Amino acid sequence: MKTFTNRDARTLEEAVRLAREALDGGQSVSFAGGGTDLLQLVKDRVANRPGQSVPDILVSLRDVENLSGIARAEGEVRVGGLTTVGTLAGDPLIGEEFTALAEAARSVATPQIRNAGTVAGNIMQRPWCWYYRNGFPCYKAGGSQCYSITGENGLHAILGGGPSFIVHPSDLATALTAFGAVFEAHGPSGERALAAPDFFVLPSTDPERENVLADDEVLAAVRIPRPPTGTRSAFHKVMDRNAWTHAVVSAAVVLELRDGICESARIVLGGVAPVPWRAEAAEALLEGERVTTELAGEAGAAAVLGAVPLSGNAYKVPLARTVVERTILGLQAPA
Amino acid sequence: MMRRQSAGQMAPTVTVGHDVPRIDAYERVTGRATYTRDLRLPGMLYARVLRSPHPHARMRSIDVSQAEALEGVRAVITYETHPGVVYGSGSIAGGRQYNDQIKDITVHRRHMFDNPVKFVGQPVAAVAAVDRHTAEEALGLIRIDYEELPFVLDPEEALEDGAPRIWPEGNLALDFENEPRPMTLSRGDIEAGFAAADEIFEDRYTTAFVHDAQMEPRSALAHWEGEKLILHTPTQGISNCRHDNARDLGIADHQVQVICKYMGGGFGDKNGSYYFDLIAAMLAREADAPVLLELSRKDDWLGTHGRWHTVQDFRVGVRRDGTVTAIRLDALSGMGPYLRRSGGIGGLDAYGCPNVERVVRPVHTNRMVSGNFRAPSDPQGYFALQSMMDDIAYRIGIDPVEFTLMNMQRPTDDVRFTNYTLDECIGTGADLFDWSARRQAAPGSDSGPVKRGAGFAFMMFRSGVGPSSAILRVDSEERYTLFVGVTDIGPGAKTTLALIAAEELGVPLSQVEVVWGDTDRCPYSVGESGSRTTTMTGYAVVEAARDLKRQIAEQGLPRGAAVRIASATPTPSTEGRRRMCFGAHFVEVEVDAPLGHVEITRYVAVHESGRILNPLPARDQIRGAILQGVGQALHEDLLYDGRNGQPLTAGYYGARHLTHLDVPEIEVTFIETDDGYGPYGAKTVGEAGIILAPAAVANAVFNATGHRFRDLPITRARIAGALA
Repeated sequence: MKTFTNRDARTLEEAVRLAREALDGGQSVSFAGGGTDLLQLVKDRVANRPGQSVPDILVSLRDVENLSGIARAEGEVRVGGLTTVGTLAGDPLIGEEFTALAEAARSVATPQIRNAGTVAGNIMQRPWCWYYRNGFPCYKAGGSQCYSITGENGLHAILGGGPSFIVHPSDLATALTAFGAVFEAHGPSGERALAAPDFFVLPSTDPERENVLADDEVLAAVRIPRPPTGTRSAFHKVMDRNAWTHAVVSAAVVLELRDGICESARIVLGGVAPVPWRAEAAEALLEGERVTTELAGEAGAAAVLGAVPLSGNAYKVPLARTVVERTILGLQAPA
Repeated sequence: MMRRQSAGQMAPTVTVGHDVPRIDAYERVTGRATYTRDLRLPGMLYARVLRSPHPHARMRSIDVSQAEALEGVRAVITYETHPGVVYGSGSIAGGRQYNDQIKDITVHRRHMFDNPVKFVGQPVAAVAAVDRHTAEEALGLIRIDYEELPFVLDPEEALEDGAPRIWPEGNLALDFENEPRPMTLSRGDIEAGFAAADEIFEDRYTTAFVHDAQMEPRSALAHWEGEKLILHTPTQGISNCRHDNARDLGIADHQVQVICKYMGGGFGDKNGSYYFDLIAAMLAREADAPVLLELSRKDDWLGTHGRWHTVQDFRVGVRRDGTVTAIRLDALSGMGPYLRRSGGIGGLDAYGCPNVERVVRPVHTNRMVSGNFRAPSDPQGYFALQSMMDDIAYRIGIDPVEFTLMNMQRPTDDVRFTNYTLDECIGTGADLFDWSARRQAAPGSDSGPVKRGAGFAFMMFRSGVGPSSAILRVDSEERYTLFVGVTDIGPGAKTTLALIAAEELGVPLSQVEVVWGDTDRCPYSVGESGSRTTTMTGYAVVEAARDLKRQIAEQGLPRGAAVRIASATPTPSTEGRRRMCFGAHFVEVEVDAPLGHVEITRYVAVHESGRILNPLPARDQIRGAILQGVGQALHEDLLYDGRNGQPLTAGYYGARHLTHLDVPEIEVTFIETDDGYGPYGAKTVGEAGIILAPAAVANAVFNATGHRFRDLPITRARIAGALA
């Protein structure tokens, strides 16, 4: 384990200030929520923040006030960044109104990790690409190549890849994107609220990072608009075992159904792209239509349009197509 | 769990044969059990090992000056300070474990530190310091100038002309006469066998490297009392561990005390001694203080060993009636750069075919080292051979069970068994499973995306008898103390041996105390490998108990401070007869074709392992072994990047080991019998369940999909790719 100093912050302002001070002093810094993944990276001496070395300073958010909890308002639900994944998974309102999000939360890692790991930490976790995690000097570690292209790429991206072919590891991010969540960041110049397309970053824009947050910005909360009545949603995660693994492919599908007609659709894929991958062509096929078996199949095919597999991950194409198709059909079936 | 008696009455027993919780269950589940790395000694230092980042490289120089200057560092040892220290656990060549003569002559010695380094993860230096953190920081200050050398990862490529040479003699491993010869087995007339065949089938099967993945990573706590080494280390054989370490240190056996009280699993990863025992001993001597060396999960994964991966080319001749007339196997076993164990490939002995030829080449590569893992040669061999046979059965239109009954090894004048129940295991399993109804007569005939099918495999596995020792003592209050040199790697050896003593003495289990896991207090035991502690040490307990009963009958119980003691070192023999355990597994799967997902919907395991002494752990040994076998069939692999020789999937996350949530419902049935050997007829259990699991699962996937998967693991990518 690399030597580091832990600093406990009491407020968001203090957390941001501590990070800023460390950076100004030439030290590397990371915010720590549950620490379930971060501490392993520190042990393995793998750099966590883009452009930085393995952290010298961890700013612990654990004691920051008002950073955890699920708050219900008229039009939206606000989930504090420090809320544990387990809390989210077990929340009755989330389960009812945002079923796909609750299902995504329940599929994360293991009960131990869900009890300690936080919502913000899940969204901010670095890729689980075996090259990055084994300390290769790849794009994600500040290098200038992606080893998966000519190497082992069975779990890598089929969509949106290049020059890096990592897949975004967060199940929550996939579901949140499908619900149109807004990511609320707190930095030195105050707050900013970013929708998914503005929050997540494709490697073609910046191969080193997965989102736009600066090193002194905390993901303070996610705000999720409450869906209209008639909305049904589901999250389907294909895993190589039933616990403690990331999605080979996942799909979060949110449908607003009225009298059997799909008024609106949001379909987001996980495990296939460097960001939560919105399948807009598939959504467009469904909107305004009666959801039939045939249409679900067409939507599945549309979801993987433009997929460019690497040498070892072509199997993800039929996988993603099938997962989308089946998840849609599961929602369309009578409850 | 079901238990059935085979033909013939077994003598009734009082204590053995009933479910008994482990005698140390409470200590284990409450965290009171003291494992090696829980120990603390006054002045103890912590040690860490620096490992090669290269698959093949020569060290030009090592600079430890900065590491030694770091405050808190007490000792640094490297290839330069300790270049020639052999570690000789078992032998190097050909599976002749514990043979000192072979250790003496072997050319390809394993060393504590070696140069050139031959795999990523090979130790090159070690540090002892006042705390873990300082030791780790010091590793980062050691400067090694490496000259990188060409490397080879693939066993076939390693045998090609012009492949990088890992040893001067070439990459085909040397046998125990130091000759680069394959291991061969030949019986009958192979050409005549093929000439007698109506059809000849040829196919290639491959299996992947899989790690033992025992829960407790290795560690060693060493300290010296004068010229005597006290070594706490999790080992599957304290006697062999002591002997090998003493030999490697150049001291007498009595100058080494090996202690292993509790350990967290072995599966063959902890056979005998290992280099970190020596590193801890050397550091403790240098620093003149106790030294605890701990391997991280990744250290343990890459720095120990796993099951050898194989490439197996089969040629099988069959007559139209289903009689197999000839089997030829030409195979490679990937051993990594050192031959830690044989690289053998099992399974052929289970067939009666008179004409057999087997050529196995253990090959050196720059991958990590291969070695023993639960039935070391068998799951990979059985998978390939019984997939091959299953395939032939379907191709010539015979039910694979019928085909097996025609071709499996049966007792003959030349091949005699102490007892034989293979047909009974297969028949019982087929009935319980409802084989003929559940298997698809036409494989892959389900038309929907989810395809159901059933598969079957069978096995026989050595359950030998042999020498081991036990000591029993009784005091004036009729408290019995059993001294056995065993450790409990999971199957419950301590409990089993106490049960045997209680049974033979005719006293309650509570009257027997067990002293174990300490070479200074316990007699020789064979070691927890080869599933033989119950059969061998257990039989020594029977003999010691009989002796003590005789003494008590003749002279009464001791009085006052006196005790009576009996010891036994029996050397039983089956006089040339094979003593085997038998088994048959029947598996039903549903394969979701577009998802490439395999769901095991039914698993029936029937085993004959003689009399079952403690059914509770026996059942769980079978279930645990099956889960490992399923993981090896469908998931586990150690991927390497071909361009730079780096391992990518070390550890539980990367290798995708199955978890509790993946355990299918496994119905275990024991057919019980007493063949007159071992304690009350007990035979091998621990390794038995894994041998046939990959074959049974693979055959079920074939039956469901109609596609024969010839490479393990049968991953989602392979299934979805083949069925797309």
